[in-house]
Order: sequence, then C-alpha cells, then structure tokens
Amino acid sequence: MTSIGTGYDLANSIFSPDGRNFQVEYAVKAVENGGTSIGIRCKEGVVLAVEKIITSKLLKPNANKRIATVDRHLGIVYSGMIPDGRHFVDRARDEARAWRDTFKTPIATADLASRMGGYMQAYTLYQSVRPFGITAIIGGFDPSTDLPVDGEVGRGPSCGAGGKVPGKTFGGPGLYMIEPSGLYWGYYGAATGKGRQAAKAELEKLDLAGPGGESLTLEQAVKEAARIIYVAHDDNKDKDFELEMTWISGPDGPTKGLHQEVPRALREEAERLAKKALESDDEDEDGKMEE
Amino acid sequence: MDHRPQAWGRPRDDVYGPYDASYLHNNQPKTATQSPIVTGTSVIAIKFKDGVVMAADNLASYGSLARFTDVKRLRPFLSTSVVGFGGDVSDMQFLDRHLNELAIDEAYEAEGCSAGGLGSSAQEPDASPGASKGQLNAANLHKYLTKLMYRRRNSFDPLWNQILVAGFDSASAPFLASVDLRGTAFTSPSLATGYGAMLAQPIMRKYAATEEDAAKLTRDDAVRVVRECMKVLFYRDARSLDRFSLAVVTRDGVDISEDEVLEQQSWAFAERIRGYGTQTV
Amino acid sequence: MAAMFSQNPLMNGPNYSVNDAPRIGAPEGAREHRFDPYTDNGGSTLAIAGADFAIMAGDTRLTSGYSINSRFHPKLFKIGGTTADQKDATIVLSVVGFAADGEALKERLDAICKMYRYRHGKPMSVKACAQRLSTILYGKRFFPYYAYAILAGLDEEGKGAVYSYDPVGSYEREQCRAGGAAASLIMPFLDNQVNFKNQYIPNSGEGHALVERERRPLTRREVEILVKDAFDGAVERHIEVGDGLQMMIITKSGIEEVLLPLKKD
Repeated sequence: MTSIGTGYDLANSIFSPDGRNFQVEYAVKAVENGGTSIGIRCKEGVVLAVEKIITSKLLKPNANKRIATVDRHLGIVYSGMIPDGRHFVDRARDEARAWRDTFKTPIATADLASRMGGYMQAYTLYQSVRPFGITAIIGGFDPSTDLPVDGEVGRGPSCGAGGKVPGKTFGGPGLYMIEPSGLYWGYYGAATGKGRQAAKAELEKLDLAGPGGESLTLEQAVKEAARIIYVAHDDNKDKDFELEMTWISGPDGPTKGLHQEVPRALREEAERLAKKALESDDEDEDGKMEE
Repeated sequence: MDHRPQAWGRPRDDVYGPYDASYLHNNQPKTATQSPIVTGTSVIAIKFKDGVVMAADNLASYGSLARFTDVKRLRPFLSTSVVGFGGDVSDMQFLDRHLNELAIDEAYEAEGCSAGGLGSSAQEPDASPGASKGQLNAANLHKYLTKLMYRRRNSFDPLWNQILVAGFDSASAPFLASVDLRGTAFTSPSLATGYGAMLAQPIMRKYAATEEDAAKLTRDDAVRVVRECMKVLFYRDARSLDRFSLAVVTRDGVDISEDEVLEQQSWAFAERIRGYGTQTV
Repeated sequence: MAAMFSQNPLMNGPNYSVNDAPRIGAPEGAREHRFDPYTDNGGSTLAIAGADFAIMAGDTRLTSGYSINSRFHPKLFKIGGTTADQKDATIVLSVVGFAADGEALKERLDAICKMYRYRHGKPMSVKACAQRLSTILYGKRFFPYYAYAILAGLDEEGKGAVYSYDPVGSYEREQCRAGGAAASLIMPFLDNQVNFKNQYIPNSGEGHALVERERRPLTRREVEILVKDAFDGAVERHIEVGDGLQMMIITKSGIEEVLLPLKKD
C-alpha cells in the first residue's frame, strides 16, 4: 500500500497529493470482507439476496435478519460492517418518514438513493467521522399507478384538470448501489461483498440490460439470485451460510408493491435448484479435467 | 445614508419609515382548535358472531353546506382493524397519517432487523397472513388512540373527533370501542356517534342488546341492520348523505366498500310530519 | 361547539352553522367557542366498611347527557396487583364523574402501587395508598381530575377501611360513603342504615332524653343487601344510574367480585 507512512491515510477529509481519500479506500476494504449481497432488477420487480455467514452455531436459524424494509415498498441489503449497515437503515427509515411528513406520499427509490448517497458522502468530509464500512443496495418498486396521498379523503376529479389519465402509468422497479464514498448508480444487477466478482460475472450473463432482462420473470430472478449467491460463496474458505432473500413486485405481482421476504417454499425450491446447478457445473469441470 | 450591514438591502427608513415589526410580536395567547370546521356526521357499528360491521356516510359538511360528497371516513389499519371517524375531517386526516406512520414503524419492529428483534424475527415469512406477528390489534389501537386523545385534551388542543375502532382483541374475540375528543373511552355490542347515538343505537340495541345477542348475529344480519340504520339516519339527519361506506371486519381481514347507496327509500312519512317546517296546516 | 357533540338536548341550541364560526376581532354580540375539557358521565358508587371486610359497589352505566353510551363500563378497579388481571390485589378504587379522568387516575395510582410493591417487596397499605391518592389529586389542583374517588381495603388491624375524596384531594376515612350522581339519594339512606342516625330506642324518653339505638358493625350479608337496596332506590329515581351493579368484597382471603342486574330503563 502506497499510502502507508505518508500520513494521508490518518484522517478523513484529507486528500493525498494524487487525489485519493485513503479512509474511503480502507472502508471499501471492509466491504470486500463482508458476505456477498446482490440485487436483481427485472421488469416485474426487484430481488435482493445476501449470503449470511454463520459465525456461530449458537445463532438461531432464520433469525437476525440482514435485509431491512424501509417504508413499505423499499428494501436495503448491505455488505461490510453490520452495525454501520444498521445505522444506515435507521437513517433511511428516518428519511422515508420525513419524506412522507413533507409530501404525504411514499419516497421514490431514486429519491431515497439520492438522500442516502448524500448521507454517505457527508461521512467522507469531516475529521470527526469515518466513512461507512458498507456498500448498500437499495431496491424498490415505485407505485406504477396513481397512489392516494396520505390522508386523502376522496377520489378527486374523474377526468379533466386534476383528473387521472386512463392507462397512464409511471414508476416501476428501481435498484441502486451506494458505496462508502457516497457514489451511487442505478443498476440492472448489483453485487457487493466478498463474492462480488463471481456474482457480477453471473449477473452479466443474465443480460438484464438487454432483451434477457425484459423476459426474466420475478420468480426466475429469485432462482437466479439464489444460484448466484451459491456460486459466489467460497466453500473452501468460508463457514456455512444461510441465504436470505426478499423481493418487491408491482401492485399486480405477488407482493402487491410491498417489500417482503421470499416465501419459504419458493426460497427452498430456489436453493435446491442452485445446489443442483452447482453440482452439474462441478461434474462438467471434473469431466474436462479428466480429458 | 445608513451604512450599517443590518440595513443593507432594506427600504430606507427616511423614505418608508421604520420597519414595523409589530406583526412578529404575538402578544395573544397560543390558540388551538376551538370548534370543528369541516365535519363528518355519525359513524355506526355493530358486532356479530365473526366480527364487526361499521358504516359512515361519505359526506363532509361545512356547517350546513354539504361540502364534500366523496369522503372516506372508514380507514383500515394493518388490514386487521377499521377506524371510523366522526367530527372534524382535517383532524381525521392528521390521525390517518399518524396511524399510517405507526403501522410502518410497527412493521419494522415485527421484522426483527433491529438489534432487539431476535425473538420475533424467527417468524417464517409464509406463516398464515391472518395470524398476528405481534402486530397491534384493534384493542391495542383503541388504547393508543384513547391515550392520544386524552393527552390532546389535557393540552387544550383536542382532536375534534369521535372515533369507533373495530377489529379483534388479544383473545381474538370481536372488539368494538369508542373514544372521543376528551379521551372518554367505552365499549358496547353496538356503538354510534353523533346523531347515530340517538337514532341508530336504539335500533341496533334491538338486535344486539348484550354480547350474547351479538354473538348470535350472522354477518348478513349485521349488515342488514346497519343498512337499515343508515337509512333512518339519512331520513332524519340533515347533515347526512345517501352514499356511504360499509366495512366488515372478520378474522379473514377487512372488507371496505366505499360506494354503497341507500336502496328502497320511501319518503312517504315526510308528508305526515307536522309541527315544524314550512307547512302552515 | 359543545352543542354539536353533546347529546344533551338541554345544551343543544341550533346545530353548528357557518354563522357560528369563530371570528377574529369579532364585533359585539359574537360568541366565542371554548373547548370544555370536562363532561359528566353519570353513575354512582358506594363503599361500606365492616368489621373485617369492606364492600365497594358501583353501577355500570356510562352516560353522556340523556344517552347511554355503555351498559357495562366498570367504575371499580383493583389496584396494585402484580398481574394484568390483578388477582393478587388488596385495594379497590372506585371513580365516578368524568370517565376519562377516572381512567387516567386509576392508571396512575395502579402504576404507583406496582412500583411500591416492586421497590419494597410488599403490597402498599391502604393507609399509604390513601395518602398517595390524595397527593396525586392535589397535584392537579389547578386542572383537576373531575373524579370522585373512594378507596377501600383492609387496614393494618384487618378492619375494613374506606377513604373518600373530593376531586382535589381532600380525604377522610369513613364508615361508609356514597359518591357520584346519586350520592345525595344514597347517603341519607346509609346514614340511617349503617350509622343508625335518627334511630332511637322506642319509649326511651322525650326530646334530648331519647336514647339512640346502639351502633353495631353490620355483617357482610346485611351490607350486601343494603347495597343492593340502595342502588335499586337510586335507579328508580336517577336517570344516570342503572344497567348493572358491580360489587367488590374485600376480605383477608382476597377480593370477591359480584355482578348483579339493575333496571335498564
């Protein structure tokens, strides 16, 4: 590491002469040690998944959830320092509530990403703080139809000025990833944490941006997400893990616009398929070796 | 010419006179709601063997003016309870938003992401949707609203509503209770606010005088009684409307229909009314 | 606009209209609306102390003007138990007047008694609880709890104890006390039947020489009948009293609860 001994890595908010903030780069290192998190955006919704490393046999299975709900229609998953992630989620919930207080409507995924990006970035500016040791993935489904304003009492005009335009929809699925620097982009598929390289490679194969993304159903996305987490998991180095998955569909989909945990039956089916896919891969590779 | 920085960019005193800051000083005491402005009239509800039926018309009046005719005064809470509001509509909206926030926050707790959530977090996601995941039931919600209303009355800033809460209690029995702007709370097999207390309550008590009677009513019975009461209220309450909302809460969830219309009205009785009004004989 | 929500026809003027809206800097003749934080929910309570027991009673009607809000709204509360159902409580509080204040008062006293038990490892004595209740009431001297409270239990010697209060905390220990809407109907009856007031031994003399009937503690059975008679009388003559009679009998073996019907008219 070129930074060591130069002194530019000792404090936040100090650039090195070549224009780097070393504290932020160290935070990225913390993320790279965390369990893999991924998000997949498809036409019908968003799937979030995390590889939850089992650090102790004394932990209760399926407890200690890692993916959090914000408002009703947003989900956040993160890799890195879990306490930092918890605080990040708390802040996101505060932002979502403040948004509702002001605008009487749920916060859009893009707006939450923007606010949380700003929040993360603020932690790179001051001596007194350190950057977040997480990379967070925010998934959401913005209401695709005209939602009532909170506390609204009537339906409003049925046509004309202020009326609804029949058939007009907006909103849709959204997926954003925020890094310790505060940098955030919108993605079709996002991965972070220890297995991000393998996960990204798999996500790219799905062709989420192209015609493949258009045709992928939410249920297929759940299965792909499970498979990718299994692929990205490093058997040799890591202990056992638990797969946690959530999804968000549109109002016509299975979650009715809410961020929810993937039902157990579907998750187990996805895990079964993931394990099967891994086994067949291994066989293929073994076959090649023998040749 | 005044060169002091605090005078920069301000109208010149020698031209416009000194700035009159008197409007900034409010010598009057802080005032709070002293009367409701836009109001909803009665809310009525009756228990039956599997739940509660509630109804309220879709009118918001501005004094004697029928101001808004598409107002939903029955609000679902967590799809397990219904809250019906009589009285001030803006206070109702405030409460509706407040309860919405409460529902979101409660869902965070149930989710178990928070550090303390180890106990509840082991809930499987596909546990039956009706089962409460430690969620607030109607009895809890009613207690909360009671405390809220009483607190506001103590600060002389009341929320000008009379509220009915319907749903289920902790023992999963049908629950129906009322709370008003002073925080007075009570429960009964049937309840009604405003004029409903005088016109609808006697009718409902014929069918559900006691809890035992209410436990014999079927859903259809209860809905029929409530519709009948809404008709009587429309006949005699000048601040009412023939379009109303009807909510049925059962263990399966909340079923609210907001486009009910009073059928088979008969105004023949109006001919026979004597003693007030415009007729001279 | 109290009239709009009051179901009391006496209070009801013409209902709310635009003309009634409050005006700022209103000309003479304008009415100012003020929120009245109090209301009277009717009902009556009664407590009698015996030699080794105390009985508290109250009707279960909750009214608002001429309307009956509820036919079963208890006015009697067990105080200071360790569980939600208060099965190990030793003290009973009754409140009558403004129901919301009564409820708030009960919850505060109950919380205090529970804290006392938690800190001291023993239930609060009625005497201590009685003093504490007075302090709570006086604490809101300038925005009082509009509630007439009566506290009953057994004293340190095991004798029945009844403490009665006014809304701002004046209190005394008494043999018996009636509170609430029908207090003025029940109290004279109690004076005569419990304290044997105006009962003289026949032919014992003339004028001041008349000998009073000797006072003796009543038995539990006698008191229970007395209570029922008192309420039957009150129901007959007071419209805010009726529906059900809730009785709690405090003895050294615990608190027994009895529910009896009253006229529902």
